[in-house]
Amino acid sequence: MNVRKLWLIAILALLAVVMVACGSDSADEAASGSVDTNSDEAVKASEELEGELVIYSSRKEEFVQPILDKFTEQTGVEVHLLATDETVVNRIVEEQVNPQADIFFSNDTAAMEYLHLEGILQPYEGEDAKVIDEKYRASDNSWIGLSARTRGFIYNKDLISEEEMPQTIEELADPKWDGQYAITRGGNGSMIAHVAALRAEWGDDKTAEWLQESGKNAGAVLSGHGDIRKAVGAGEFKFGLVNNYYYHQQLAEAEGNNVGFIYPDQGEDEMGAFVNAAGIGFINGAPNPENAEAFISFMLEEDNMKDFAFNSKEVPLHPDVEAVPEALPISEYKTMDIPLSELGPVWNDAKQLIEQSGLPLEVQ
Amino acid sequence: MVIPVIYIAVRSFDNGSQRWLELLDTRIPFLLEKTLSLTLAVTLLGLLIGVILAILVVNTNLPGRRIWRWLLVIPLTIPPYVGAVSYIILLGPSGWVEGWFGSTIDVFSFPIVVLILTGFTYPYIYLIVSASLQKINPSFEEAGYISGLSPLGVIRKVTIPMVRPAIGSGAILVALYIVSDFGAVAMLRYPTFTQAIYFQMGSFDRVGASIFSLILILITLVFLYLQYLSKRRMKFYQIDGTSKEPVLIDLGKWKTPALLFVGTVFGLFAAIPIAVLLYWSGIAVASGVIDSRFFQFTMNSFTAAAITSALCLVFALPLIYVKTRFSSVLSRMVDVISYLSYALPGVIVALGVIFIFINYLPFMYGTIAMLIMAYMMRFLPQSLQSTESSMGQVSPKIDEAALSLGRRPVQVLNQVILRLIQPGMIASFSLVFVSVIKELPATLLLRPAGFDTLSVRVWIETSDGFYAMAAPSALLIIIISILPIRWVMNKY
Repeated sequence: MNVRKLWLIAILALLAVVMVACGSDSADEAASGSVDTNSDEAVKASEELEGELVIYSSRKEEFVQPILDKFTEQTGVEVHLLATDETVVNRIVEEQVNPQADIFFSNDTAAMEYLHLEGILQPYEGEDAKVIDEKYRASDNSWIGLSARTRGFIYNKDLISEEEMPQTIEELADPKWDGQYAITRGGNGSMIAHVAALRAEWGDDKTAEWLQESGKNAGAVLSGHGDIRKAVGAGEFKFGLVNNYYYHQQLAEAEGNNVGFIYPDQGEDEMGAFVNAAGIGFINGAPNPENAEAFISFMLEEDNMKDFAFNSKEVPLHPDVEAVPEALPISEYKTMDIPLSELGPVWNDAKQLIEQSGLPLEVQ
Repeated sequence: MVIPVIYIAVRSFDNGSQRWLELLDTRIPFLLEKTLSLTLAVTLLGLLIGVILAILVVNTNLPGRRIWRWLLVIPLTIPPYVGAVSYIILLGPSGWVEGWFGSTIDVFSFPIVVLILTGFTYPYIYLIVSASLQKINPSFEEAGYISGLSPLGVIRKVTIPMVRPAIGSGAILVALYIVSDFGAVAMLRYPTFTQAIYFQMGSFDRVGASIFSLILILITLVFLYLQYLSKRRMKFYQIDGTSKEPVLIDLGKWKTPALLFVGTVFGLFAAIPIAVLLYWSGIAVASGVIDSRFFQFTMNSFTAAAITSALCLVFALPLIYVKTRFSSVLSRMVDVISYLSYALPGVIVALGVIFIFINYLPFMYGTIAMLIMAYMMRFLPQSLQSTESSMGQVSPKIDEAALSLGRRPVQVLNQVILRLIQPGMIASFSLVFVSVIKELPATLLLRPAGFDTLSVRVWIETSDGFYAMAAPSALLIIIISILPIRWVMNKY
């Protein structure tokens, strides 16, 4: 009797094993499709690409998807997009022994430079990368900036005039602005990069003090810049610290569009505005390297650069591509000297500085 | 199961104690206060709503009480993050309420966050307490009346003390849910540990993320221990079921306020969210959002859910068979493990699964196998619970009888056991299926590129500010979740 009972258990267990094996096989096929088989085939012709391209993006999906669709249309390459947020950087780090993605689409060069320093990106050999100013790409072109994002103040013209507005970043710490402006949470990628740049300019103590004071002065700490532009447009705050294209986006709104923008620190011996860039990084060990190279090259073409930058109203970094009409070209205002690639190594320290200053990393 | 926890503990000490000290100084006290105050507020409000509703539906002559009994469970089928989305649409910046009244209610303020989270979690308390109320032998309450107590006095002095263990375990269930929830608090921009873990991972700070995770695990363990204590007491109090109907309290002039209360709860946390999502889904459909992409997201959700539900059954059946036939150390272990993994927050499960696959199963990394493993870790306990209850009803004597009548083991399995436990298997399949469809944090962190599910779409569209675009996916999740409501109710 007991022997038979054991048989019963054995059969159940065997069934379990068999079904698990089947289950995970089909799971693999469903997900990875033909990732591995493609890289070899793609070599055969440089013009005719096929297979797929895996892109991890920390940019909003709406600002990435259209240009990806265009790429698929032109080349036939199937693009798999993982649209997330800054957390994807960690995923890329975790995956470095077994890379899954070909391209990292980022809103922030500091994140890309961090990956470059960690050896997680590979050089891009194409000559076409040289159209981009050296300031906005990695030393080995393993990441390339595509569009500029300049930090400055969006202000509501109904509430404050251009002359009354603060003209430097430093002034945010002035108690006279208490409760009148909005800034983003300290964990926001653009904010961290900006703090990293300020730190390089001012040193630790001054930056920490500025963070503390402006964190206190801010009328609200919002989760993203989109919220800030809407709040300023609606008149909830006189002004807010954002990237310039949020100003361009707010101008396009049907309501609350009576806004202006200040590029800060433009005086004779002042530091200039901080310019960050959105761009793409080429992941080391990418499963579809040919498609990735083709994609980078595609993004550097004037037409595509224009489509891409205009979609989010950022300013293209390709010198021959004009910006959206409402944007000031980068050459017309003063920018901070620090090369973006120098922000990678100090990124983590900048975040710690923010953490210690008490400016919340998340919204509360 | 154990591996992710160990992994996290080890990781958290990667940089020695330095990072610990930094975080203890700044973030930890802040997050502790935020997490615990939210948990406490939601639990208390949930108790108030859940217990009152249970008493109204079970012990009074509330008009339509049999229908209310079902309707009041519906909020449980709406995942809190979906509820949050509908309230952001309604109350948020440029939402409907602003349009109607010209002013806004701050949907991200503490009281509103508490209200929203309570609204979609109170049914845990409501279900457990009403189940317990139905088991009370009415003679106790009759005795109360005979001794001259008013109806309110009976409720206070007789009814509530008898269901106190159920109230306690319902409260702990809600508390456990709140500390582990990711989607709703993140969308409502309320900082808790789960959210900090998620964002810390984005800031290259894996040590920080592990430290937060470890603290969160400790908090969870405390709640689990409380639950264990309350369960033990529940056994002590267990009262035999009775076929007698409970004595119904006549509401009298309180009938209208009571109906109003029940109606408000149902309206706020079932009718309104569903109506909002229906409205926006209508707009989305008209503007052509329901395209091949949407179909693909739905397929992805269904595929992952079906595979996971089937695999859970395959694992649960032998485990439960052994457990019910040879009660032993093994069966205890199954209990404890399923207990723990049920409470382990999804963000932490995801961290652990990434680690396991990178180190031990690199060839499977980046496939949906990884996602399914995380789902199984989270939801196998549900499968164990629902199959156990039906396997428990199949006496070992039955399979012995079948065997002695000359059936071969395979036949016994086919013709006897599987047939008898079929209801349990269906329940298990549906519950796990729905849980997978609703799951957010692990899916967000583990999905392969191009494998977006319905829940992921709700997240992406919401965080990009396209609330209306999130509506069709959100609505579909609710519809799927309502289908197995029968088994959800039987669980408690």
